Amino acid sequence: MKKLLVLENGEFFTGEGFGSNKETNGEVVFNTGMTGYQEVLTDPSYYGQIVTLTYPLIGNYGINRSDNESSRPEISGLIVKEVSKSPSHWQKDKTLSEWLAEYDVPAIEGIDTRRLTKIIREYGTLRGRIVQGDADPAQVAAKLRKWSLPVDQISHVSTQSVYVTPGGGPRIVLVDFGAKQGILRECIKRGCDVVIVPYRTSAADIMKLHPDGVLLSNGPGDPKSVPDAVQMVREILGKVPLLGICLGHQLFALAAGANTVKMRFGHRGVNHPVKELDTGKFMITSQNHGYTVEKESLEGTDLEVTHLAINDGTIEGLRHKRYPAFSVQFHPEASPGPDDSQPLFDRFLAMVNQEKKEGVRLA
Amino acid sequence: MSFGKPTVSCSDRQDFFYDPMRTAGDFSLEEKVIMDEKAMMRALTRLAHEVIERNEGVASVVLVGIKTRGIYLAERLAKRITEIEDSQVQVGELDITLYRDDLKKKSREPRIIGSEIPVPIEGKTVILVDDVLYTGRTARAAMDALMDIGRPQRIQLAVLIDRGHRELPIRPDYIGKNVPTSREEIIAVQLKEVDKADRVVIRTKS
Repeated sequence: MKKLLVLENGEFFTGEGFGSNKETNGEVVFNTGMTGYQEVLTDPSYYGQIVTLTYPLIGNYGINRSDNESSRPEISGLIVKEVSKSPSHWQKDKTLSEWLAEYDVPAIEGIDTRRLTKIIREYGTLRGRIVQGDADPAQVAAKLRKWSLPVDQISHVSTQSVYVTPGGGPRIVLVDFGAKQGILRECIKRGCDVVIVPYRTSAADIMKLHPDGVLLSNGPGDPKSVPDAVQMVREILGKVPLLGICLGHQLFALAAGANTVKMRFGHRGVNHPVKELDTGKFMITSQNHGYTVEKESLEGTDLEVTHLAINDGTIEGLRHKRYPAFSVQFHPEASPGPDDSQPLFDRFLAMVNQEKKEGVRLA
Repeated sequence: MSFGKPTVSCSDRQDFFYDPMRTAGDFSLEEKVIMDEKAMMRALTRLAHEVIERNEGVASVVLVGIKTRGIYLAERLAKRITEIEDSQVQVGELDITLYRDDLKKKSREPRIIGSEIPVPIEGKTVILVDDVLYTGRTARAAMDALMDIGRPQRIQLAVLIDRGHRELPIRPDYIGKNVPTSREEIIAVQLKEVDKADRVVIRTKS
């Protein structure tokens, strides 16, 4: 079944459809990971986006039962060069195509993903649509230009109600803006008593849970689309140790007075080198972000930069000068990607335990 | 070609690796009651109310108990619901066992070995009932089994004890009690039907 991928600038690609047969709109982004497609497709941070996987063969190990980062694919569409028709792996449960069809996610193969990526790198991320093969690209592109990107993605992927995974360690309140399972997994692994709360939870309600630490999760979209969450972070800042990851990092920066801006095409992949300024060490990190903290806006705030991206010099980590709070733009929980930065969770818990020992809550 | 009888046959291997110290250690487990008969009764009554409230009655609800103790809990829950709501709830059962059939697998995988569900579950709200929720693997296997049997409208999960350490994105809808544990501790739910007493104990190596 012939399908088209149409971009808002009028360019279009012809390919073969797989997965669901429906049409879909979304922001077209690209991910450079060579492996880990199941984790990428189930990462709630990609909610509403049409994801291009630049590695030329995708789906060769199928879909298994243990690599999900949420309970379903979160993307609105998938673009690949070639999808594997005969995947093989001892843990394989179903093929990528079957899995996408089951969850009604459309996908297209046979696309020159290299050219597509070059276009995105030049123009920035573009609005795109996967349509049936007989559609008129010019008309679709005109419609796309009138369509505005959604701003309410977080409300679709955040938990609706509070839930707990009990543990014997410190109590961590995880604010779910679309958290990857990996973040919870890392907390559980370290014995934390985790309370997961919806993104709308107020600072007062969070403090009522008597957290030893608060973790702001990753999530889709613009951090400025949730001003209430920024206010919440501002109120708990200094009262309780804080770790922000990805979107949580941006919210932490906004709460401390810095600014965030949309990047041209973002960082999405599993091999992004990052330099830790304290030690001068490098780590290869897993990243997925379309927004970044503006460097100039840090002036006059209490924030200092701890990590920098090597490829383009953007901010990848921040620390508060007075309060026990830090954040990273990349994903220390990896999944997919290298686990170079996993010790950051230990650092957070060390900070939590230190605060507990001192028993001081800075007001 | 034959190599004769091996000196240690497979069935003897356990004895071969028999460690008297470890077995002795089991007897020195420290036991603490975390839920007594009354507390369990109250928890089940609360769960019954929650089930009724969340589903606006029990007209389309089917309870499905997992393994031995989940089945008894499901039956008790059904009884409690009937008392409150004055309408019958159907109870089914799933038999799930942990297999370690593949040396490559580090953890034991749950397998369904039988099911007995008296009514069709198409379009119903199926509430899985288990005694302890731990990694979530059993619950997931149970959900898979339900999807194979029919297409329920939704599946909910009710547990008496949630002890944490989840390895899968599974969360219970109804929880009797949250019990923070370490992996070394053992949670044992004891029910009158099989264990002569109603209580939940936590065992720690002393």
